[in-house]
Amino acid sequence: MLAVRNVAKRYGAVQALTDAHLEIDAGETLALIGANGSGKSTLSKVINGVVAPDGGQLLLDGRSVRFESPHAAKDAGISTVFQELSLIPQMTVAENIWLTREPLRRGFLVNHRIERQRTEALLSLFAGTFRADLTPDTPVAALLPDERQIVEILKAISVNPRLLILDEATASLDSRQVQRLFDLIGQWKTQGIAIIFISHRMTEIEQIADRYSVLRNGQTVGEGTMKNAAAGDLVALMAPETSGGAIDRRRLSPDDLATRRVVLQIDDLRTSVLRGVSMQVHEGELLGIGGLKGQVQRDLLLAIFGGVPYNGRILLDNQPVHFTHPRQAMKQGVALVPGDRAGEGLLSIRSILENLLIPSWRDYGFPLRMKRARQHADAIATRLDLKMAGLDAPVSALSGGNAQKVVIGKWLLRNPRILLLDDPTKGIDIATKAEFYRLLTRLCDEGTTVILYSSDDEELIGLSDRLLVMHDGRISSELAGASLTTANLVAASLGVARRETP
Amino acid sequence: MKRLTISPPLAAVLLAIALFLLSGFLPNGFGGNLDVATAQAINIVRLSVFLGIIAAGQTLVIISGGEGIDLSTGAVVTLTAILTYTIVNGRNEQVLPALLAVLVVGGLIGLINGAGVAFLSISPLVMTLSMAGVVSGSILVITQGNVSGAVAPVMTQLIARPVLLGIPGAILIWAVFAALMWLLLERTAFGKHLFAIGTNRTTARLSGINVTGMIIGTYALSGMLAGLGGFLVVGNTGVVHIRIGDPFLFPSIAAVAVGGTLLTGGKGSYFGTMAGALVLTLITSLLTTMQMQESVRRMVLGATLLTMIALYGRQRGFRQ
Amino acid sequence: MKQSRWQQATYRHPYLFALLLLVVAFTANLLLQPNLLEPTTLNSNMRVFLPLILVAIGQAIVMIGGGIDISVGSIVSVVNALLATQIGLSGDLGTAGVVMGAALFVGMGAGALNGLFVAYLRLQPIITTFATSFIYAGLALFILPNPGGGVPSRLTAFYRETIILWLPLAFYIIALILVAWGIVRQTRYGRYLYAVGGKADAAYETGVPVQAVQFSTYVISGLMAALGGIAMTLLTGSGNAQVGDPLTLSSITAAVIGGTPLTGGAGGIAGPIIGAVILGLIRNIISFAGVATWWQTFVNAAIIVLALAMPGIIRLVRRRNG
Repeated sequence: MLAVRNVAKRYGAVQALTDAHLEIDAGETLALIGANGSGKSTLSKVINGVVAPDGGQLLLDGRSVRFESPHAAKDAGISTVFQELSLIPQMTVAENIWLTREPLRRGFLVNHRIERQRTEALLSLFAGTFRADLTPDTPVAALLPDERQIVEILKAISVNPRLLILDEATASLDSRQVQRLFDLIGQWKTQGIAIIFISHRMTEIEQIADRYSVLRNGQTVGEGTMKNAAAGDLVALMAPETSGGAIDRRRLSPDDLATRRVVLQIDDLRTSVLRGVSMQVHEGELLGIGGLKGQVQRDLLLAIFGGVPYNGRILLDNQPVHFTHPRQAMKQGVALVPGDRAGEGLLSIRSILENLLIPSWRDYGFPLRMKRARQHADAIATRLDLKMAGLDAPVSALSGGNAQKVVIGKWLLRNPRILLLDDPTKGIDIATKAEFYRLLTRLCDEGTTVILYSSDDEELIGLSDRLLVMHDGRISSELAGASLTTANLVAASLGVARRETP
Repeated sequence: MKRLTISPPLAAVLLAIALFLLSGFLPNGFGGNLDVATAQAINIVRLSVFLGIIAAGQTLVIISGGEGIDLSTGAVVTLTAILTYTIVNGRNEQVLPALLAVLVVGGLIGLINGAGVAFLSISPLVMTLSMAGVVSGSILVITQGNVSGAVAPVMTQLIARPVLLGIPGAILIWAVFAALMWLLLERTAFGKHLFAIGTNRTTARLSGINVTGMIIGTYALSGMLAGLGGFLVVGNTGVVHIRIGDPFLFPSIAAVAVGGTLLTGGKGSYFGTMAGALVLTLITSLLTTMQMQESVRRMVLGATLLTMIALYGRQRGFRQ
Repeated sequence: MKQSRWQQATYRHPYLFALLLLVVAFTANLLLQPNLLEPTTLNSNMRVFLPLILVAIGQAIVMIGGGIDISVGSIVSVVNALLATQIGLSGDLGTAGVVMGAALFVGMGAGALNGLFVAYLRLQPIITTFATSFIYAGLALFILPNPGGGVPSRLTAFYRETIILWLPLAFYIIALILVAWGIVRQTRYGRYLYAVGGKADAAYETGVPVQAVQFSTYVISGLMAALGGIAMTLLTGSGNAQVGDPLTLSSITAAVIGGTPLTGGAGGIAGPIIGAVILGLIRNIISFAGVATWWQTFVNAAIIVLALAMPGIIRLVRRRNG
């Protein structure tokens, strides 16, 4: 029914897709799998019209098509359950599902009875898996995340699509809901609906998919039927054991680490998404945090930085601390490079100079000693080899990698003891990534403690002294020494197998 | 999007000069007489001082972002003008206490505005507009319809009369004030933090800036500056009435917009606002010279602001 | 996301707080003015409240769509000036009808200008309508430089004294609008309005004509302001180019007190109607409670600030305790 040929897509310096292929027939479920950052999401966005490809072809029923918008794709029968929710919180379940397609009576009035019936029919598909008080008239804002996801799925299926894309649609569902979804997928298949299924959970893929297509670094590296594939083979396809490329860091041994001072100790940390996290981090250690992409790692780093409220105990140099504002953490030598560079790390319309100095202005007296501030900023820019037109150029003119250098630079200016990094190399070209790796290595050698979350598994394996893998708001396994391998990390985050703590 | 090659403040200054030269060619303009022209120029600048200082607080609030706007400015100017008038009551020695009092009163009103915006998340528009109502109400309570008092001779001397080389005191005050405003915005941590919260409050918070405190402080400062404005206005006119501040509200926002300060926050300068105040004062005086009615003046001012925001203030579209 | 019971209650019933306030204000008013419910008293109150009610309805519709309209007061003034000069104290009913019809178009035109700038040129609603408010205020002054003119007493008498079945005219007008709104709410347009105000990006993705909807809200607001202006003129019988000024803040306050959030996507028009009545009752109470004349404006404004702050204070206290 649908065929994707040689699709390529580049975002700025990053080649998200180089050569992606895909074929799917009516009544078939295809699992699109790959490690973090392999291009799965980009490919699904090319298919549903959100992203325009740079090259390649989309063939629908053998005819070449080009979707200008998600709407055009929907008209062609391609419906997507988005990861980012497309519901309007203030409106009810029924209103959201039928928005722009409301059943009418007398040509202009919304027919509530029919709308309600149709919504109830849709909801009944998932009956028993959500709270009883969820009715067509419940506002979406009052729903739990899993219920919202269900409504999102129902909205996508309500257009009677020929092809349904489920992009991480199961991530926030519980096992019963997933099971129900799989039963439904079975029914939809018999009706001739084709389904592209994207998930991080290998067990789900094994259970539901007829065929698979594996992406690695934007390239389709394997296709086949699920029957003939073992989970281990797929993992190997997704993440072959590599040397880590540009990463050249000598790992501290567990014994070496044990002799070092504990700088940060966390006991039973809980937030809205963390469900009891405990850990110890040593001086000069580079601790990796892995696991499925999600709110969890972000919340962990933010809680340490005083950015979100939490319960639990944090000891800094054996002193209990409880930061309620990042400013307090900052004063104690803790720094955070947040995950959303433009939205949380930078002041886009201000100059590079000001961006580098935001946390530090108070240290320059009154009136601000601009000459000294400029010297310091200049020194950091040189140290980070920042490629810029000048310190007074707006930060928005920088490339992704250089902009990230500014975010890191603003903290290096303060010589932090603990550096928290939330996926710092996302969307950054390879050369700059290599610079980062050298920088982090040097910082650790100088005694800075680094906690790094990355969605790039190779990076985590190559850089970390120790690696904690998070699952369900907890630390599910700890990898160190010989157990620190990509295969183990992928396996642990997919929940294929569990490694004991060494 | 359109890119302007010259900076908005400079554009505003050029506009002001152009308007001034234009006014010279009017039937009763200065024509080719340099002395008259100089005198008129000085007079225009002197008239701009009051709007310029009142718009200073507005500049800060608008830079602070989050749909920041202070619509209580006009009422605060009236209140503080009346307070100055009654406290001073013709005595020179009461001038300083009066100045202190209006700064405190203005600051307190601003503080309440800021607390409402920061703590109770009332939108700045609603908060400051209803605060304007409260202040207007308290003016009626205080004055009970009649205001008695007088400005002190020293105020008239310093504000309204020439002090140095034929330059009126008000202009000298404005020059010093402008230098202080520049210092505040460009050479203090407060100023840098103000631009930061106006650009992106999340980034600001995650960089250790106390955003709540900054918002409250900014509104308080805006109130204080409006208070200073009221003090100067009454020092200039020498008389007071219970609507004296109202005509400053709209131009105070328009001056900020004309001066190129980003209405969404995070970017702007006081020099721009000064230029904006000059432009608006010139437009008003030009229309007065042309014997245009109040109604036409309003429409022209409104259209000026609309033009400026159409030039600078576009938001992003839905299609990316 | 866990929500407190108060949050859920106010979410499901946005008018809850307003109703509570209404009961309090009404009881206080009834105590001070025992004949409040007699037809003539009711009428004399409602005819005063009606202009604000009409304007507040328009304001609320703009706010539901995610915008705000600061120019409504000035539009009221323009309409008042138009009526007072073009009908005149001795005008005939035919002229009056034509002029009123024209006034409605003027209101919609003013709203369309706002909508054009906000929806299609993507300018900020607050500052844009603030700018146009100055233009319209100037226009009103241009039409009627000095207070004067007016409409024939036959017209004002009709507005002021019509009581049908014990209920004043205002009730029937409000009922008519509520019915119309009820129908609009049942149409796709009604859905789109809330979708656009709730999350414009998501609405756009789903295929809602976002800009057209935004534009329409300003036209409606202009129309309602024109109706408010006509009611105001019939109430006062005379012309004053600044008569609408206080209505801008009052209409926003009425909408906010009536449970319309400035963030858009929620609320309705029953809340703003209640809100407008509350504002009127507060004025009544203040004058009947014997508050000294000079204190009345202040007390009135202070009560309004408190009413606006109340939801925020409740939220703050709840967060402290929970």
